[in-house]
Amino acid sequence: MTQVVGSAGLPSDMPSAIEVHGLSKRFGPVRAVDDLSFEVVSGRVTGFLGPNGSGKTTTLRILLGLVSTGGGTATFEGKRYADLQHPIRHVGAVLEATSFHPSRRAEDHLKTVAVGAGLPLSRVDETLELVGLADVARRRVGKFSLGMRQRLQLATALLGDPEILILDEPSNGLDPQGIQWLRTFIRHQASIGHAVLVSSHLLAEMEETVDDVVIVSHGKLVLQTTLAELASRAGTQTGMRIRSPELGRLMTLLQAIPVGYRQIAPDMLAIDGATPEWFGPFAAQNQIVLYELVNDRGSLEDVFLSLTHGFDAADPGAARGAAAYGADGPASFPGGPA
Amino acid sequence: MIASVRSEWLKLRTTAVPWVLGGIALVITALSILLIFVNGSTTGPGSGTGTTHAGTIPHSPQELRNLVGAGLGSYIFALLLGTLCVTSEFRHKTVTTSFLVTPRRPRFVGAKLLTSAILSAVLAVVLLVATVIGGGLALAAKGGSFSDMVHQIPSVAPGMILVFALFGILGVGVGSVLTNQIAAIIVCLGWFLILEQIIVALWHGTARWVPSGAASAASNLTRGRGADFGLFNAWQGALLMLLYGLVFAVVGSVILTRRDIT
Repeated sequence: MTQVVGSAGLPSDMPSAIEVHGLSKRFGPVRAVDDLSFEVVSGRVTGFLGPNGSGKTTTLRILLGLVSTGGGTATFEGKRYADLQHPIRHVGAVLEATSFHPSRRAEDHLKTVAVGAGLPLSRVDETLELVGLADVARRRVGKFSLGMRQRLQLATALLGDPEILILDEPSNGLDPQGIQWLRTFIRHQASIGHAVLVSSHLLAEMEETVDDVVIVSHGKLVLQTTLAELASRAGTQTGMRIRSPELGRLMTLLQAIPVGYRQIAPDMLAIDGATPEWFGPFAAQNQIVLYELVNDRGSLEDVFLSLTHGFDAADPGAARGAAAYGADGPASFPGGPA
Repeated sequence: MIASVRSEWLKLRTTAVPWVLGGIALVITALSILLIFVNGSTTGPGSGTGTTHAGTIPHSPQELRNLVGAGLGSYIFALLLGTLCVTSEFRHKTVTTSFLVTPRRPRFVGAKLLTSAILSAVLAVVLLVATVIGGGLALAAKGGSFSDMVHQIPSVAPGMILVFALFGILGVGVGSVLTNQIAAIIVCLGWFLILEQIIVALWHGTARWVPSGAASAASNLTRGRGADFGLFNAWQGALLMLLYGLVFAVVGSVILTRRDIT
């Protein structure tokens, strides 16, 4: 087992189901993946997180042998995908931009995969049942909604009852019930010892699902850690939002003390690291009129955005993270981004 | 490999492709039979002896062979079948799933080669059976000899089946090089219906080398008459056709192996 990057308490006694080591890939001048290393252990759900265009899909496709590597390795229990004896029985994948022949019936699609992989045809009905498509098994896929296609993809991934699952933005197109079902399903997979790597550009969507996170931006690893560790970072990142008609005077006062602040609206100010216990008396002392005083406890999403913003300043979402928890925060208020 | 071929057959038969192509081939074969009875069979080298009944009834061995082989012109559908079984995977992006099941891409091409060759041979058999039944009935109705026609089947069927299989292989080869469906179809039809004929008309010496010249030679498998038309003999023609198909398939496998499926 290789050293975990940003090794923040990943259980090291678990075998790693997926290992990505020094992976790189260029598309013309673009470094889609840049010396990326991380690993995924069995029995846990690993969130593969990063903004759009951060190289997640490319990484997953290299893992699955669909895209060639420009350096480094991506293996399942030490073997490349193409070298697995029966890949479908070990690794199941739901990928974006995969499609179906529109005039083929759902069950026929699954049969072509089952027959090609030497799996019993009974698995077709089982997986259709599992993803809730049994009623539409004889329908042509061209008539399927996005959510139904997503379920059919999942059924395809599950045909071989694989112990490793790779899901690329699997909740796309799913309705809220579908997303809830998917969460339960993913947690169940981990509980029976399977490894799940699930990508998303929204950490919020994954908060209830993942155990570990691999955060990437611009093809580079930002951080691999546990969700718990990430949450503890979020807990230490606090700040306040203040609405006041006297922002000018307030800012002049704040300049005299070591505190980071930022005007986020004509009458609103974000103050890094501040607490109501400190700011309330401070405002009273200086006789500043306040309309609103909000304790801005950092969310996981904010940590995620602040971690990726330095790599992705063009992303408006990331810029928001930067504004709230900018790197120019004062040293006296702990918990700025690492 | 058997599993892969079964899967490929399942992929094909669960779409309209083989049924539509087979249907059109049957219609065209029926029209060819009709033309033979309306216009009279083409006067080949063996048609010296006239008939006492009617001038438009195939009678000589050569005329009867032409009748039995009425489906031969539908080889183009074997070619298209092979081409479409590769290009439709790219057109509908089902190739991602196919490569997940079969990550070794030459194997994927190999399974398609085998499947297309078998199905194309089956198409030839279907057309032969339909021709013998349809043509035979017409022949009998016009007072011709059904049994004389049946006697000619062994001299036509093996060559026709072989040629269809070879075109099925060539189709997969072309499709694996040119994965864009529209481009592949245009190239196939453009080559066999137009370009090749222009080339042969301009340079007669190329007749034996172009694919349909090689195929014509191969279709004479049991008669060994290829040399009469300046073509190779049957086995040389079949080997040349196979070579064309395999060269395309190997080039296609190399291209596909290097290709990123994004």
